[in-house]
Amino acid sequence: MNVEPLEDDRHHRFVLNMGPQHPSTHGVLRVLLELEGEYAMHLHPVLGYGHRCHEKIAEHKPAKSFMPNTARMDYLGALIYNQGYAQLLEKAAGIEVPQRAEYIRVITAELNRIQSHLLWYGAYLLDLGAFTPIMFAFDDREHILDILEDVTGSRLTYCYHRVGGVSKDIDDKFVSRTRAFIERLRSRYTMYEDLVNGNVILQKRLIDVGELTPQICARYGVTGPLLRGTGVAYDIRRAEPYSVYPEFDFEIPTETKGDCMASFMVRYREIEQSLRIIEQALDKLPEGPSMAAKVPKKLKLPAGDYNSSVEAPRGELSYYLVADGSDVPYRLKVRTPSYSNLSTVPETCSGMLLSDVVSAMGSLDLVIPEIDR
Amino acid sequence: METLHSILPELIRIVICAIGGAVIVFGNALVMGYAERKLAGHIMLRPGPMEVGWHGILQLVVDGIKLMGKQLVVPKQADKPLYMLAPILAFAPVFAPLLLIPFSDKLQGFDIDVGMLVILAFASINVLAILIGGWSSNNKYSLFGAFRSVAQNVAYEIPMLISLLAVVFMTNTFSLREIAAAQSPVWFVLLQPLAFLIYIVAMVAETNRAPFDLPEAESELTAGFHTEYSGMSFSLFVLGEYANMFIVCSVATVFFLGGSSGIPLPYFEYTGALWFLLKVYALMFFLVWIRWTYPRTRFDQLMNFCWKYLIPFSLVNLLITVVVVKLI
Amino acid sequence: MDVKNVVKQWKTIAASVEAVDFAVTGYDYDLSVAGAKVPELANFMLKSGFYLVDLMAVHVTPSIEVVYQFAHVETRCRVMIRAFVDANNEIPTISDIYQGANWHERETRDFHGVVFVGHPNLEPLILAEEDVDLKPLLKDEKSLKDVAAIRRQQPEPKPEAAKPEAVKSQEQS
Repeated sequence: MNVEPLEDDRHHRFVLNMGPQHPSTHGVLRVLLELEGEYAMHLHPVLGYGHRCHEKIAEHKPAKSFMPNTARMDYLGALIYNQGYAQLLEKAAGIEVPQRAEYIRVITAELNRIQSHLLWYGAYLLDLGAFTPIMFAFDDREHILDILEDVTGSRLTYCYHRVGGVSKDIDDKFVSRTRAFIERLRSRYTMYEDLVNGNVILQKRLIDVGELTPQICARYGVTGPLLRGTGVAYDIRRAEPYSVYPEFDFEIPTETKGDCMASFMVRYREIEQSLRIIEQALDKLPEGPSMAAKVPKKLKLPAGDYNSSVEAPRGELSYYLVADGSDVPYRLKVRTPSYSNLSTVPETCSGMLLSDVVSAMGSLDLVIPEIDR
Repeated sequence: METLHSILPELIRIVICAIGGAVIVFGNALVMGYAERKLAGHIMLRPGPMEVGWHGILQLVVDGIKLMGKQLVVPKQADKPLYMLAPILAFAPVFAPLLLIPFSDKLQGFDIDVGMLVILAFASINVLAILIGGWSSNNKYSLFGAFRSVAQNVAYEIPMLISLLAVVFMTNTFSLREIAAAQSPVWFVLLQPLAFLIYIVAMVAETNRAPFDLPEAESELTAGFHTEYSGMSFSLFVLGEYANMFIVCSVATVFFLGGSSGIPLPYFEYTGALWFLLKVYALMFFLVWIRWTYPRTRFDQLMNFCWKYLIPFSLVNLLITVVVVKLI
Repeated sequence: MDVKNVVKQWKTIAASVEAVDFAVTGYDYDLSVAGAKVPELANFMLKSGFYLVDLMAVHVTPSIEVVYQFAHVETRCRVMIRAFVDANNEIPTISDIYQGANWHERETRDFHGVVFVGHPNLEPLILAEEDVDLKPLLKDEKSLKDVAAIRRQQPEPKPEAAKPEAVKSQEQS
């Protein structure tokens, strides 16, 4: 595919083809590594194994019916992708969303974010050779999936946020189960910290590995926990407040070093912040309808262009819609965080040990369908 | 004192030893395979195998039958003779050390004067098997695993040997039975704590167990040196690994934990083996426990740890031992 | 970042600078620029601390429009920069300024056939090698529209176009 020709002085290097089926690429990503001994001198990510042309699909069906596709892009942050797309269409068509629906969206989206971070936590540690934490993380994650399954009807690729609200109102059972889950997850922190976060081997593996700086992040468009790990407190939920996020009190965790340990700790601490948001949202949950009164069946999108950015678990997600007045988008572009985050790899990872490449790529928290969207 | 080899005719003794060795190797693999999966399960807060037999106790038997029934896949470009040789080479040499281990005063196949050296010599054949397996598979990941394994095992044999030498200086013998017997009042783990620690670390690295399982590091090298192996050829590697674990733990027991010494039981010259096995399996439990707790180290950290810390410390320990032994 | 100063600088480079209502469109400024001036503008954006959010192409009739999206990490200032490709479907690359544009430009080359002049490696990124000229996102004759059809109609002038800045100064504090 897109393999750069080898220059002559590179002929002696050992080319290792990591992926598309490899335990630590988490999907159909292929990385060509030119190795000198254990050192990866040149990395070459090869994309496109799972490309489904979502953007082309979007141009061929009514905007509203593209909603399920958004969940297929990032299967771990599906509700957040739903939310961004619903907001985009509401912005374009000028639909007011009831307050209760906004609160429900925030609660479910934050649950989804925790779920994504928990999966990353387990899978990343599995990449580093620790087998046990993934079971603990999946145990907790299973509770979230059960809670969300009850209200949304699916476990992974949700289509719950709709234009104008959410498809089904939440009930008391949801509220009590969510509260119980918050209690449970908080009681597990000491376990995670004792077993994992303070471990010497883990720290030696992560500190000073894959360092990013705010400048590199700006040049590559790196966002999300990786950017916050470099000390920039940039979170779309705070920088460009959407939905009802301004009403909640939460911190944006940052670290200064920009290495794998920094993004590791940022993600870990974000779990607690998401729990705080959910708690406040449950307390303040207003009564009322969960769906706007009249959402037209055929959603006319006035000509013009619209952008909707939300904070996905991996960084900034932007939908950019060009409408021509019909109900079918003229062009829909999805800016997915992993795409920009992965593009730093050739620069930041060259000259690393093979094991460090695995931990640096793991700290990007890649979801490949999001890159090959 | 008479051992098995002085009271039985030569031929019968060899047959009994061979059967005993096989029983230990396969029995140990069954016990450890089950124990490892069950322990891993409980460490991970899940039950582990539960379906076959009471609490999954027959799981390993079923797995063994399955593995025997599987096709042996040989990659097209592989070096076939070497590819088939490697698992045998990993498995066969584990019998010899088993014959030398003094399970109790009278349960020992052979007692030879250089027992320790023979055990270490046979244990290092394992490296060759891994190198051959990795090389002949014609797979880059396998080759990587093989290279790592050779570098790792060669490096960690040095502190292992030096830490054992400290004990040898104290007892003036290489014979395992005499070393075990020399610990009647005090176990050497109390007199040589540093040597014991170094030996334990080196032992984990020698058996390629996590957190030093770099030759198979599945998140980096898919499965390392045995990526291409399937069926019985794969399980021979696993059998060899468990048998090696048993051997290094036995050596630790003989050198540091007093061999078969313990609270006396009737017929202690035979039943002392119970204490011996208890100690061995306690060490094996420790190996399993750390495997399922810690993340994997990085290769340069692993080598640095050996060359910069373990070897100097073991040498210092050896020097101190020599001086003290000389003064007393 | 001083937004007023930045806007003044934009006006020297871009053909038109327009503040738009964030609540309606989801971004703050709309810039149009000549294709040849894109690298100059990108250089300025990098100096002012913007990061590259996205780079995309929209197929419309006079020629393909390339849209660059930038945002700032300190102040809320989301900018769309539009430039038309020239007759040969060419536009200068910004991958030497914003390395993150490298993949976006290759993707745009894959899907729309826009050639980014000066790009180090315009090999297909997503498509297979044999599909170089597939250009799947180009519109066909029937669905292709004029650029005027996708521009926002201005029913009434929005008086509070400058509002976003006031809002964000509070948010930042």
